[in-house]
Amino acid sequence: MFSVSHKTAFVVDHCPYMAESSRQLIECDMLTKSRSQGVIPLAPVSKSLWTCAIECSMEYCRILFDVYPTWKLVNYIVSDSEVHILNSWKQEDQNTHELMAALAAVGPPNPRQDPECCSVLHGLVAAVESLCKITEYQHESRTTLMDTADRVANRGRIICLTNAKSDTHVRMLEDCVLETIQEQNKRAAGSDRLMPIQQCELVLVHIYPQGEETLVSDRQKKELSSMLSSEVHSVRAGRYLASKLNVLVQQHFDLASTTITNIPMKEEQHANTSANYDVELLHHRDAHMEFIKSGDLHMAGSTSRDSGLKETVTLKWCTPRTNSVELHYCTGAYRISPVDVNSRPSSCLTNFLLNGRSVLLEQPRKSGSKVISHMLSSHGGEIFLHVLNSTRSTLEDPPSISEGCGGRVTDYRITDFGEFMRENRLTPFPDSMIDAAGRTPVERAKSQLERYTRYWPMIISQTTIFNMQAVVPLANLIVKDTLTDEDVLTCQKTVYNLVDMERKSDPLPISTVGSRGKGPKRDEQYRIMWNELETLVKAHVGTSERHQRVLECISACRSKPPEEEERKKRGRKREDKEDKTEKNGKDTEEKGWTTDSERLKGVMEREKDEQSECEIIKDSPDSPEPLNKKPRLATEEQQPPEKSKDDALHSIHPYLQLHASHLDDVIPHLCRHPLQALWSACFCYHCLKDQRTVCANSIYIRNGLITNTSLYSSITVTLLALGSL
Amino acid sequence: MPTVVLLDSSLSMTRPVSVEGSEEFQRKNLAVHGLTMLFEHMATNYRLEFTSLVAFSSLWELLVPFSRDYNTLQVVLVTDGALGIGRGSLRHSLQTVKQRVDDKKFPLPFPFPSKLYVMCIANAEELQATDSMDNLEQLINLNGGEGQIYTMEGPLCLKSVQSMFGKLIDQAYSPFHAVLRCGNLTSDVQVFPRPEPVTIDEEVDPIPKTVQTDLEIVGFIEIGDISSPPVLSRHLVLPIAVSKEGDEIGTGATDDTEEETSTNQMAGKSPNFCVLLHGSLKVEGMVALVQLGPDWFGMLYSQADSKKKSNLMMSLFDPGSEPLPWLGRMSQLGPASDAAENPYGEDDSKSPFPIQPKHKRSYAQNVTVWIKASGLQTDVQKILRNAKKLPEKTQTFYKELNRLRKAALAFGFWELLKSVAELLERECTLLPDSAHPDAAFQLSHAAQQLKLASSGDSKYAVFEQNITPMLTDFSGGGGADRI
Repeated sequence: MFSVSHKTAFVVDHCPYMAESSRQLIECDMLTKSRSQGVIPLAPVSKSLWTCAIECSMEYCRILFDVYPTWKLVNYIVSDSEVHILNSWKQEDQNTHELMAALAAVGPPNPRQDPECCSVLHGLVAAVESLCKITEYQHESRTTLMDTADRVANRGRIICLTNAKSDTHVRMLEDCVLETIQEQNKRAAGSDRLMPIQQCELVLVHIYPQGEETLVSDRQKKELSSMLSSEVHSVRAGRYLASKLNVLVQQHFDLASTTITNIPMKEEQHANTSANYDVELLHHRDAHMEFIKSGDLHMAGSTSRDSGLKETVTLKWCTPRTNSVELHYCTGAYRISPVDVNSRPSSCLTNFLLNGRSVLLEQPRKSGSKVISHMLSSHGGEIFLHVLNSTRSTLEDPPSISEGCGGRVTDYRITDFGEFMRENRLTPFPDSMIDAAGRTPVERAKSQLERYTRYWPMIISQTTIFNMQAVVPLANLIVKDTLTDEDVLTCQKTVYNLVDMERKSDPLPISTVGSRGKGPKRDEQYRIMWNELETLVKAHVGTSERHQRVLECISACRSKPPEEEERKKRGRKREDKEDKTEKNGKDTEEKGWTTDSERLKGVMEREKDEQSECEIIKDSPDSPEPLNKKPRLATEEQQPPEKSKDDALHSIHPYLQLHASHLDDVIPHLCRHPLQALWSACFCYHCLKDQRTVCANSIYIRNGLITNTSLYSSITVTLLALGSL
Repeated sequence: MPTVVLLDSSLSMTRPVSVEGSEEFQRKNLAVHGLTMLFEHMATNYRLEFTSLVAFSSLWELLVPFSRDYNTLQVVLVTDGALGIGRGSLRHSLQTVKQRVDDKKFPLPFPFPSKLYVMCIANAEELQATDSMDNLEQLINLNGGEGQIYTMEGPLCLKSVQSMFGKLIDQAYSPFHAVLRCGNLTSDVQVFPRPEPVTIDEEVDPIPKTVQTDLEIVGFIEIGDISSPPVLSRHLVLPIAVSKEGDEIGTGATDDTEEETSTNQMAGKSPNFCVLLHGSLKVEGMVALVQLGPDWFGMLYSQADSKKKSNLMMSLFDPGSEPLPWLGRMSQLGPASDAAENPYGEDDSKSPFPIQPKHKRSYAQNVTVWIKASGLQTDVQKILRNAKKLPEKTQTFYKELNRLRKAALAFGFWELLKSVAELLERECTLLPDSAHPDAAFQLSHAAQQLKLASSGDSKYAVFEQNITPMLTDFSGGGGADRI
């Protein structure tokens, strides 16, 4: 985690001698033929040692930041008569743009500066001091580890680009670094913001102009002390230096090279022809792990054209067939950086990938068999080399899910659960997003899943309400953490709508699985539906007071004969009869007044009938409490409305008479629940129909008392008689 | 992990074991007894394990082969610890391990992640009396410490061989049972193969992380958004029926005995959350993110083996707070419904993924690299090409000019600025008579500005300051605004 590559300090010599030319000439006056006559071409330009050092170190950083956007930090130091520290270890300072701006401010070395006061030593001392400074990552790790904070190591690397005088000069630089480390470690021991250096790698790169003999010899890595190792590279400026730093960045950060071959690309000059190109990419070497393990590396690899030192693995471009979204079995994904970032083939490839296409890569094999081993794909503007699993799976030929537990069930609510998954999709929240209860977004996601699944039948035949379109608005809302008044209203409308359906005896999608014949009777169906709806809402009743109100609404509106047990004992005889009545009612709906009054008569009779029966069971705990109101209901029903406005029953029944056309709406319920002394709810029927706000006109009548009489003055009222409270 | 069982069938394995009374056993019989126990255990509780059996003495014979190679293995070596003598014996091989040539390397460490279990049909005292134990330990060390040596406790008999293999089974072949949860919807499952503990950072956090037995779904993501993420391992998630006593009835995938079949049929007919989840994941093309432990996540998805067969599969991400850069920190993923605006759009046309990093990568931001001469030449050519098409290409001309200027300033390459200035001046003199008068003005203005910058004068060499087109009567003053 905190290896040597966590911190890299670049020290670039800015002394007058670095202004010397590299003597690598670049022709930048490329005259076109037509104009070349009579024009003397400009002299070629040549970079200074400084320019060579800067552009190669920037290239090192570019590759580093592409492959490791975090965790691998660079501190850039320029040294002449003083030290210029161009950035800090902070993550926000880790980009080439900032460094380029700072370098521009420093400018090229001044050849007229007094060479006596200039030295790269200032920079090396500053680099050691800088390595002692704690990074954000080290700080964070130390804070989280607390008592084992000493596990957080402090290691680093100094890459020094300079022009040394001799091997003795090099030794002097090394000694200086070693002494400074010892000194700084003493200082660091007593500080919170500093850490002693445990291990430091010094990489000295001696740069000399082309055509000159080097005064400094190459030297392999050597341990100077337990803390410091040092290596010396003596390199000619120009492309030699560039390829040296390219090799170093690969060594330092465990990178490897892959060359994508056979990339078809349109020719610039001849747009209708296409040639095949190669593009070399760098990435973490683990992307080649499979080749290393299988010993295929040498077979697949070929030597890169540009440098004799490094190897590259060649993978063949497979033209993508479709844009299909597929989940590949991928064992690793590594960020890439093109070696030659602004060459045309490179930018063609990267732009293709950045536009959202993925490319599968084929590993050439001796046998000629085709093995797709990698995939290039971009995510959020970053390109990754995905390693696809090409070895044999240990999970071959597993049993199908249909052969296991629950595999024989055929009516899973697949579509509904799909909808559920869409509703529970995740999205990223900013780091500061923690809610009032101190929960992180992921905790909120879990608690949402908990709420959404409090009542969630898995199969179609286990549920009625979730098979009903009419319940959807309520079912979607009730699971929410908070409800608005409007939401409550929507839920209430849903309930009223169900009441309406029940009134009209609309068929319900009740499963007939497991039951003989046609399944339960209509009113039994509604009872099942109401029970289920209540179960759903009860599961959420504790969430808020508004959720509670939804349950109240259901309890108030629903039909639920409390004597159902008793009725079962009495057999199905009456139910059949009732059912017929119901059907008749429906059939004759349009026949109007006469039929209705006839039916009303029948209802009254039956009601009396049931009354006597209910007296028999009055001791039962299930028997409705306000029995004493029942006779009044029956007898007073036909009285004129003017008489007793204060009495709930009086106030209701006038409407029965006044709006005879709506009797139809009331009677079936009267018939079905004759024992109910409670008229639970009524509402403005017209408003509901028009989908206007109903709230103010809703009234609840409990135990025979109207609790909200606001609609007295209002228009047509339909009564619905419903279950016990 | 597939298993290779290596059974020592050398002569020493036929040594009799003294058992009081009853019939006489050879060590080989004990080994076979132990292996039978192991295979029976696998057949009932670890069915999907691939196993191969090799018998060896001085030579070896593959009795039951794998048909191909795998990338990980468990090796169970059953031996009496009599190492043999002379060339080819383990003792000799270990002594000469460093003298071997490349093409005859010692087989350990295996070139793939592996565990080596040595089952000794001998007790520890017996092995320690000679150097057998040391040699066997050396084998484990050669395998990077991956593995373990088991010895028999007490007398060599069926009971102690059973207890020894029992330990191996507990260690390496106990099925991983867990509860898969999505809020209140749950299913008992077996995760196969067993997820092994993972250590990511040996130095700072050396404690291996284990997958918890409560697998909690935290939410859902489209396959396109999760986008072939890298995973540590893949596992089948098989629903299991748990009887009242808490014993596993089976994965329902077998049809051995009639009794079992009927139990399985029952289990097959009662709805199971795994099947529901699998079906919807498959239909919707989504994955479920599942929490495996603190700061450790994985994903559940439908994996099709063939057109007919598909299964619920779980892949484990690297432990840590941000295993997939394009999803961001896992703890910051919350319900989309909590967002002020639906991040997926009202018509599902958008997605909050992938997360865009703060800084663009080099290949996405038109960086300037002049390491190869051709890079520099191309950039100069671009400027000249646009220079010839002034004033139409004023914008691109200055854009390319400024890009070159910035890089030259950063690289301290003032010589280039001077050269390009000269090139532009020459372009100016070469302008045909038909050229727009503005072209000459812009060219000499640009050349002058480059020269000023190349002088290092702090007024003209500011990195962030661009050269703006000259305002001429011809350009109508619009040029500067458009930059």
